[in-house]
Amino acid sequence: MDIFGQLFLNSLQISAAYILFSLGLTLIFGVMKVVNFAHGEFFGLVLLLIAIIVPWLNSPALPLALTYAAAGAVSILATMACGWFLYHFAFKKFQRDMVGSFVLSVGLSLLMQGLFLEFFGGVPVKLPDLIEGNLHILGGAITTQRLVLTLIALCVAVVMCWLIAATKLGKALRAVSEDHEAAMLQGIPYRRIALYGFLIATFLAAIAGALLAPVTVISANVGSDFLIKGFIAIVIGGLGSIPGSIIGSILIAVIESVGGYYFDPSLATLGMFVITMLVLLVRPKGIMGNG
Amino acid sequence: MVSAKTSVVSVLALSLIALIASLFAGTGFAASLVIWVAINILLAASFRFVQLIGELNFALAGFVGLGAYISGICTAKLGLPFAIALMGAAVAATLLSLIVGFITLRTKGPYFMLISFAFTEVLRMIYTQIEYIGGNSGMIGIFPPALFTDYYPTLVVAIVLVLVLVLYKLEQSDLGKVLVAIRNNDALVQTVGINVHLTKVLCLAISSFVAGIGGALLAHANNVISPGDFSFLLAVYTLAYIKVGGESHIAGPILGAAVLTLLAQVAMGFGPYEHIFYGSAIVIAVLLMPDGLVGIIRKSLGLAPRAQVAARH
Amino acid sequence: MTNLKKIYAALALAALATTSSVQAQETIKLGISAPMSGAAAVWGLGMEWAAKQAADKINLEGGLTVAGKKYKYEIVAYDNKYNAAEGTKVAQNLINREKIKYIVGGIGTAPIQALQSLSERSGTLIFISAWGKSVKGPQFPLTFTQSNTPFEILDPLYRYVLAQNPKAKTVAILNANDSSGKEVETVAQKAWAALGIKVLSSNWYERGTTQFQPIAAKLTEQKPDIIDLGVAPPADAGIMLKELGVLGWNGVKVLPVGTSATQLAQIGGAAANGTYMGYAGDYSSALSTPVQQILNQGMLAQYKEPLNPLQVSSYDSVYALKAAMEASNSLDPKKIAAVLPTLIFETSYGKTVFGGKATYDSPQQIQVPVMITQVQDGKMVELIRIVPEELKTRLAAGK
Repeated sequence: MDIFGQLFLNSLQISAAYILFSLGLTLIFGVMKVVNFAHGEFFGLVLLLIAIIVPWLNSPALPLALTYAAAGAVSILATMACGWFLYHFAFKKFQRDMVGSFVLSVGLSLLMQGLFLEFFGGVPVKLPDLIEGNLHILGGAITTQRLVLTLIALCVAVVMCWLIAATKLGKALRAVSEDHEAAMLQGIPYRRIALYGFLIATFLAAIAGALLAPVTVISANVGSDFLIKGFIAIVIGGLGSIPGSIIGSILIAVIESVGGYYFDPSLATLGMFVITMLVLLVRPKGIMGNG
Repeated sequence: MVSAKTSVVSVLALSLIALIASLFAGTGFAASLVIWVAINILLAASFRFVQLIGELNFALAGFVGLGAYISGICTAKLGLPFAIALMGAAVAATLLSLIVGFITLRTKGPYFMLISFAFTEVLRMIYTQIEYIGGNSGMIGIFPPALFTDYYPTLVVAIVLVLVLVLYKLEQSDLGKVLVAIRNNDALVQTVGINVHLTKVLCLAISSFVAGIGGALLAHANNVISPGDFSFLLAVYTLAYIKVGGESHIAGPILGAAVLTLLAQVAMGFGPYEHIFYGSAIVIAVLLMPDGLVGIIRKSLGLAPRAQVAARH
Repeated sequence: MTNLKKIYAALALAALATTSSVQAQETIKLGISAPMSGAAAVWGLGMEWAAKQAADKINLEGGLTVAGKKYKYEIVAYDNKYNAAEGTKVAQNLINREKIKYIVGGIGTAPIQALQSLSERSGTLIFISAWGKSVKGPQFPLTFTQSNTPFEILDPLYRYVLAQNPKAKTVAILNANDSSGKEVETVAQKAWAALGIKVLSSNWYERGTTQFQPIAAKLTEQKPDIIDLGVAPPADAGIMLKELGVLGWNGVKVLPVGTSATQLAQIGGAAANGTYMGYAGDYSSALSTPVQQILNQGMLAQYKEPLNPLQVSSYDSVYALKAAMEASNSLDPKKIAAVLPTLIFETSYGKTVFGGKATYDSPQQIQVPVMITQVQDGKMVELIRIVPEELKTRLAAGK
């Protein structure tokens, strides 16, 4: 095993997971200036639903890929509905109110976790591998599944960057995130854009969950495990910036991968927090931040 | 309008009643309840003080934890008198907050929140690595002074009352007005010649002094502390007390802490339902009672609603 | 309104009548302090369930008789969330509010310490499953340990593993950075060293970690013969083994104090095969007692998880308490505590005693078999049950 090759592969696959998770998180902040702590629970909800549906549907008659696809589709739709519901009855009232929305999202997060524990139980579940096998490339080893996942994550990230940079919707999202009043003066329908932003973000969380389902251990609090790292990623990268969240995720993944290898994984986590503090001190708005 | 004299008298009367009531708490379950409510009130007041400059102080748990551990070391490891343990806790927390505040208060809003959160986690992880203070298993043997064993609730209530009163006075004073001005527009305040940065640091220091004492009181009440007690959730629950109680007046955190702590005891037997309970309480409070309990009381007394404490960035 | 008054009067009389007849059998409340939410929820919930099974069984058979009066048991369990602050609240609720004098289950060192600081002062008898020598001994006369701890498990387990794998010479240890992890690790290092095995490294990871590839890479690079996963939760251990498999490591796997082979096998897949475990008895196998087999089936029906030693320990404590109450003919915790070490009593394992004076300076450790199991083809197989020497001696002597 070539260490640098292995470290590179580890960093790559870990960043894929975090990138998928953080894209949505940063989008919500950018558009609505809402720090959505409950983002992790959307992610968790998709994973939990898939964890329930796949074993139920799974049979030798049905190809595993189809089972996963069906479970994924249903879960994503359910989560989107949940997101729409929460937006209308809760988050809409707290746009641009960072404290209020934050507290609300924390309350929601606690509430949802409690409900998940109640309905799902405390036992973690691992779903069957979608793609079997390991690959040996660049001197290191990686499961085929994770490699595919990484490539998809990179595609999603690229698509999001393109969306933000080139499309009309993307420009509206960026305008609103920079100065929502000026954007409204330009005729951009803020309410509608905010709704779209929230839905896209929820969709991203849902996709992240669906893609990560075959490789993650699923439990009631899986959302909060990812949430902390996700937050660090987007704040380091710059709240509201899509490219920022990608950079932030990669940075954390590298620290976890390299730090965990050369030092102790515990110390690596400690180091991650320390580095977060340092980055924010040097660039208080994050690396790409303009918030 | 309630006259200033009437409010002073009523506050003093209420405080006296609280003190006398606490004398009857005894040493059983009622005593613990009184102590927990009092400490939560103190932490809520401390958190709210930093809200005057418009920041959410998520480093609260870090300073509470430091106060708890320092006082624990003084009492359980070094055998020093309680007063020294208390002062040690307050001084340690204040000193650390001066250093941390000076560095981190250059950031604002969610960035400050995240740095504070990271700071709390770093402290917590450091505690788990130090064997002298028990590491992950925690420190034991932190008992209140022998003189006060039976009247610990009264001691706690007395200290909390004094500190909350002090915070209230500070808020009403010129310093308080400067802090609120900073929250509204710090660039403007800078132009008047006030060093905004140092004033913010002072605000955090005052809040941390109080938080440190809160931590010491907590350590002596529970007799055992562990790193897991001082996580991010502590600050989240404190924020819940403030939101439920209402931010516009110092009575808000007092009401909110009292109500939620007591309700949480009711939810205690619910096990996993506790998350659901707390979560719903926060969601309902935020959605339906934006001004908190204080707002509801104001409305029922026919008073005009007051402006929100926290800034909108 | 007079009709209503009549109804109230009738109800009151009926209530009086029923209470006076129920007076014949009083209820003794037994407390439990364990995590019932979060990652460790299944331990606490399972412990409560097992205790209730014991209480129900005893009550059904007529309850217990002490000093001529009949009593039945009721279980009261609270969630201590695995930290000291909650542990204190639970202790206050159980001891001061509910006035409970006997705790039949405790999990988590920090909350147990909180419980102890109150229980010893207030004269409450407690049965706990916390590890570490700091929570036991002559200074805690009312504290008894209800299940095996690393001190009892590791030596027999490691000896057995080495006997099966004589070529193994080196070990790398991994643990979660929490109180259980810290306690197991100190005992593990000493135990391996005492058996002549070189400890290459001792590693820590934070709970809540989701990506285990970096640690797996680090461990693989050291090329240990054995990897000791300490008290890692089965989910984490499973993922670790999987990642180790991806990297091509295939040595001796040991999870000394993990409690669930099912989860390990489900999550680790093929990579989990061959793992030796010391705290995950197979209560469905022929090596188990009939009582345990029934409990196991009940647990499966209720929580879809097989029974584990941590959960069944509260069943055993309830029975130990009953035996001691009846033997001492008293409800006084101090008298019960004095009599416990002298008794041979029935538990789910059969006849058991309290001992362990050699290790802890005080006979407060329950002497139950160490069950060594191995994951084979995705299933847990119990290899051997090692009965502690002290138990053998006591049973042979008949006292």
